[in-house]
Amino acid sequence: MGLPMTLLLPLTFLLPLAGTLILSISRGTLSERASAFVGVASIGLSALVTGLIFLQFLAGDGAPQTVTLWTWIAVGDFQPTIGLALDGLSLTMLGVITGVGFLIHLFAAWYMRGEEGITRFYAFMNLFVFSMILLVLGDNLLMLFLGWEGVGMCSYLLIGYYYQHSTNGWAAFKAFIVTRIGDVFLAIGMFLIFLELGTLNIAEILQRAPEVWARGDTMVELAALLILGGAMGKSAQLPLHTWLADAMAGPTPVSALIHAATMVTAGVYLIARMNGIFTLAPDVLYLVGVIGALTLLMAGFAALAQTDIKRVLAYSTMSQIGYMFLALGVGAFDAAIFHLMTHAFFKALLFLSAGAVIVSCHHEQDMSRLGGLWRRLPLAYAGFVIGGAALAALPLITAGFYSKDEILWQALASGNGGLLLAGLIGAFLTSLYTLRLIIGTFHGETKSDNARHAEAGRGLVHGLPLVVLAVLSTFLGAWLQPPLADVLPASPGEGVHAWHTALEIIASATALAGIALGAWLFLRRREWLARLAGQGWGARLWTLWNHAWGFDAFFDRLLVRPYRGLVRLLSGDPLDGLIGLSTRLAWLFNAGLTRTQTGKMRIYATSMVFGATLVLLVLVLGA
Amino acid sequence: MNQNATALIAEYWAVGLFVAAVVTLCVFMIGAASLLGGRSRGRSKSLPFESGIIGAGSARQRFSVKFYLVAMLFVIFDIEAVFLFAWSVAVREVGWSGFWGAAIFIFILLAGLVYDSRVGALDWAPKRRVRVDDSI
Amino acid sequence: MLTMTHLVALTPLILVCITAVAVMLGIAWQRHHAGTAIASAAGLNIALLSVLVIWQMGPVETPLLVIDGLALFAAILILISTLVCVTLAHAYLEKYPGPREEFYLLLLCAAAGGIVLAASRHLATLFFGLELLSMPLYGMLAYAFRERHSLEAGIKYLVLSAAATAFLLFGMALLYAQTGRLDLAGLAVALTEDPNAWALAGAGLMLVGLGFKLSIVPFHLWTPDVYEGGPGPAATFLASASKVAVFVVLLRLVLVAPAFQGDWLHGLLAVLAVVTMLVGNLLALAQSNLKRLLGYSSIAHFGYLMVALVIGDGLAVETVGVYLVTYLVTTLGAFGVVTLLSTPYSGEDAAALHHYRGLFWRRPYLTAVLTVSMLSLAGIPFTAGFIGKFYIIALGVEAERWWLVGGIIMGSAIGLFYYLRVMVTLFLVEPGMQRRDAPHDWGVRAGGVVVLGLALLVLLLGVYPSPMIEWVKLMAVAGS
Repeated sequence: MGLPMTLLLPLTFLLPLAGTLILSISRGTLSERASAFVGVASIGLSALVTGLIFLQFLAGDGAPQTVTLWTWIAVGDFQPTIGLALDGLSLTMLGVITGVGFLIHLFAAWYMRGEEGITRFYAFMNLFVFSMILLVLGDNLLMLFLGWEGVGMCSYLLIGYYYQHSTNGWAAFKAFIVTRIGDVFLAIGMFLIFLELGTLNIAEILQRAPEVWARGDTMVELAALLILGGAMGKSAQLPLHTWLADAMAGPTPVSALIHAATMVTAGVYLIARMNGIFTLAPDVLYLVGVIGALTLLMAGFAALAQTDIKRVLAYSTMSQIGYMFLALGVGAFDAAIFHLMTHAFFKALLFLSAGAVIVSCHHEQDMSRLGGLWRRLPLAYAGFVIGGAALAALPLITAGFYSKDEILWQALASGNGGLLLAGLIGAFLTSLYTLRLIIGTFHGETKSDNARHAEAGRGLVHGLPLVVLAVLSTFLGAWLQPPLADVLPASPGEGVHAWHTALEIIASATALAGIALGAWLFLRRREWLARLAGQGWGARLWTLWNHAWGFDAFFDRLLVRPYRGLVRLLSGDPLDGLIGLSTRLAWLFNAGLTRTQTGKMRIYATSMVFGATLVLLVLVLGA
Repeated sequence: MNQNATALIAEYWAVGLFVAAVVTLCVFMIGAASLLGGRSRGRSKSLPFESGIIGAGSARQRFSVKFYLVAMLFVIFDIEAVFLFAWSVAVREVGWSGFWGAAIFIFILLAGLVYDSRVGALDWAPKRRVRVDDSI
Repeated sequence: MLTMTHLVALTPLILVCITAVAVMLGIAWQRHHAGTAIASAAGLNIALLSVLVIWQMGPVETPLLVIDGLALFAAILILISTLVCVTLAHAYLEKYPGPREEFYLLLLCAAAGGIVLAASRHLATLFFGLELLSMPLYGMLAYAFRERHSLEAGIKYLVLSAAATAFLLFGMALLYAQTGRLDLAGLAVALTEDPNAWALAGAGLMLVGLGFKLSIVPFHLWTPDVYEGGPGPAATFLASASKVAVFVVLLRLVLVAPAFQGDWLHGLLAVLAVVTMLVGNLLALAQSNLKRLLGYSSIAHFGYLMVALVIGDGLAVETVGVYLVTYLVTTLGAFGVVTLLSTPYSGEDAAALHHYRGLFWRRPYLTAVLTVSMLSLAGIPFTAGFIGKFYIIALGVEAERWWLVGGIIMGSAIGLFYYLRVMVTLFLVEPGMQRRDAPHDWGVRAGGVVVLGLALLVLLLGVYPSPMIEWVKLMAVAGS
């Protein structure tokens, strides 16, 4: 027994929207405390509602439910509805968004204390949660797209939150523009789907797609490719990944919520949601896996050579989403979503712990100026250790182990040896850079005054989110199996068990080997490493990895500069003149017509007579 | 169209002739007078001429705005009262509903009259205007 | 004979008239600004309620008037816009040094005229309604007669409107001469039997007369001057209620009378529609006066609306209904902001765009209202204006009138420019600019509340338009 879904589902996103409205209408009349309260409470209530929905959903038969709120406009055949769909997949996403979102909002109350414009911060954060929920609950692609653009906008606003520094503004620009490239692909994909299938409703699309398209049809491959383009932009996968590392310019809770736990995983959600299209396009699906594998390797190496804590985490996020893409690519949609969930837990934990370190050390986030903090910041240290263990997939006791193991196992079961190998190398790299991050931040000597005067955060607001997320990052979090069986197609590894244990052992060994090597390198051989990175090919490699394989420079050469050159070339172009002609023509007409507005009544009356004569002439002569 | 035009001409030729005759007559009278009549010019010739007496003052006299106001009110009430004639002719045929209609009509007129007098539109002297200004 | 049913069906009209007389007597008894405004608003509200009651009655015909879905729909729109004008006038006239109460009297008379006009089924009521609508408007436009522009607007409208009325009357006379009938149904029958050039000429001249009120090119030249000069509430009424009433009667004529359905007339209407939307938008392009700009924009919008007249079947009535509702709400919002920022006491209305420069930094909510209105006028999705424009374009596409559709799209593209220009101005900061401001407590006053409500309605209609559409459909069914 419970409240009807028609009420509960809209409540999940109306509450954050209400928060946004209250905060934006208050216009700075609310105190910092009140703003934070409104911002956190709206998400908290939304999370409670989600909990209710969860209970009801589990109590029911688990069948997907749709709630059609209303038809937007009904003109002829075009009748876009505003409807919500709830199934295991969207419920999982909803849980992650509101649950983890709530914890991050709570933590932000501590993190943002004393910052300027806290109302603005919470208004944007609530708006983000609103858009994200719309994205996962929408039952048609139009609403999904609306949410998709909404989160993009909020991401832009929040990356540029500290707008006084122009670099932050540029980072926000970059994120917006790069993801926009993906969005254009997605939009075209939507048009294509509407053209071919005549609907944008997701359930209908999945139902009609196999009827209209044969497996491997060019059209369906094209549609899948375009959707993939959108997913790549949002989820920061090769080659549209360059924005994510710069996006760390935003406040750390933003990085935790938007650029680790939720928004960047929207691409994974999208592909899982459109699984029917992708299973019809096996080539594209394979491409998804390859992109994931390449990204996870690329980002893994890049993470090794970062000195900024948040950038390490950003590359690690890319790499972990690469794992999810890899899982999608081998057809293991539920493994991808499972990893999405556990990743949200431990990556949020890592980011929040990083936030704790950053605030405690007076906004110092460069590893080369930190170090030796484990005694001063025990809670953040614990967060890093647990989150890092989950990230490195330490066997048996961490959530990350179960989800990542599942992905590797599915890769093996589907027979993609190359992808499996990439996954294993990635796992090794993950352990390595995780250990480097923890040791660099918390061990060794303290390298700056800021770090020397670190003050540990206190209070429930600071501690609770870290503790809860830490618990969820252990094997306890892996017990939360998302109810996906009815929604997503069966994975290739279902029912097969041969080699599973062997793989588990290999994967664990890889992770442990990475940790062991890391411990040896970063604790014992630090001088040697520093020397290595300081000269010769070591230095070159360091620079290359530090710049994440130089994609930025590459794109700058490949796209930005030619584009600007082209623009310069075309600025005096006749084509441009032709387009400008319409404007000039409009102004010309405007000038001409404005002359008729003389303000003289006789002219006006004359024009009336003239018009009447014209009317009469036309009518009488025409009849 | 052609047939129509023919029919029209057939129907209205007399009117056309009349119009033409009028125009011709006017042109003839003015034209003949200007051709045949003599002309004399002089300083006093262009003065306004009223029964042999030179006009006193300007013709552009300023009337009190009240003059127009009262004239206008007169026209309005007069014209509206004309409707009552229509009723009086048919008072038996239209019966009670006609009576009530006329009563409402007269009531509205009366209300208008009351309004006019209270606002001071009917006062000739400007003294009462002060009351209006005071009440603002 | 007039029966009880007739009287009941005419209740809204009667109520408005009673309110007018009562207000007049009230003024004669004692002048009280707030009291007059409240009495007018109360009367209009009761009339509005009575419309909702009468809604269930079904069409009722008196010899001169027809109370059907279309008439009631128009009555609702007219009453609502009059109500908005009353609240705006209350804010606007607060500090006015001359007599303030008569404005409401004029407003009520004009509203009664609009209701008659929209319900007319006889040329006599058509003419009478139109005049009753226009006459008070002369007074309203020249109300702040100490302002040169206001007086000018009143006189201009008076003279030109009289000229237009002459055309209208001439057209009626021709129709009467040809058929010997004055009721629309009789006219329709007589003209079907014997259509000829005279009847067409009559129809054409009536079109000129009505086209003037709707400011259709080339009868549009008065619009910007009058909008600019007239006091805010008067211009609001002119742009909203007056246009709605006239358009409804034109729709009725086109739907009923076959003389208005000839190929040539249709062709003419189509050309006028395209020319109107283009010229309206082009004229607004360089306009730096917000009231004039809104005037031009209303020209363009009625150009769009004429598309429905030209097509005249299928979704046309529904389209007209939807478009009128969205246009009305938006226009009232936009003019409401202009009115709230102006008072007749401190010189002419705040209309020049530079008055609005940086308004956002002083009056964010008021700016939000204006922004929403501008977006809606431009037809951006999720505002009411989009729904209306969508309907018009859908209608044009369905009827395969590509020229009209092309005109709408070109017009909208041009329109976007100047609507956005206004919005940009609102958010600019430049110190030392001339500033006009609303009173500090505008938000809690009636006018402010109404304007905010209108802005919310614009958004609501954009996101959740289906109840409105259902309602309009009901009207369209009842009206045909």
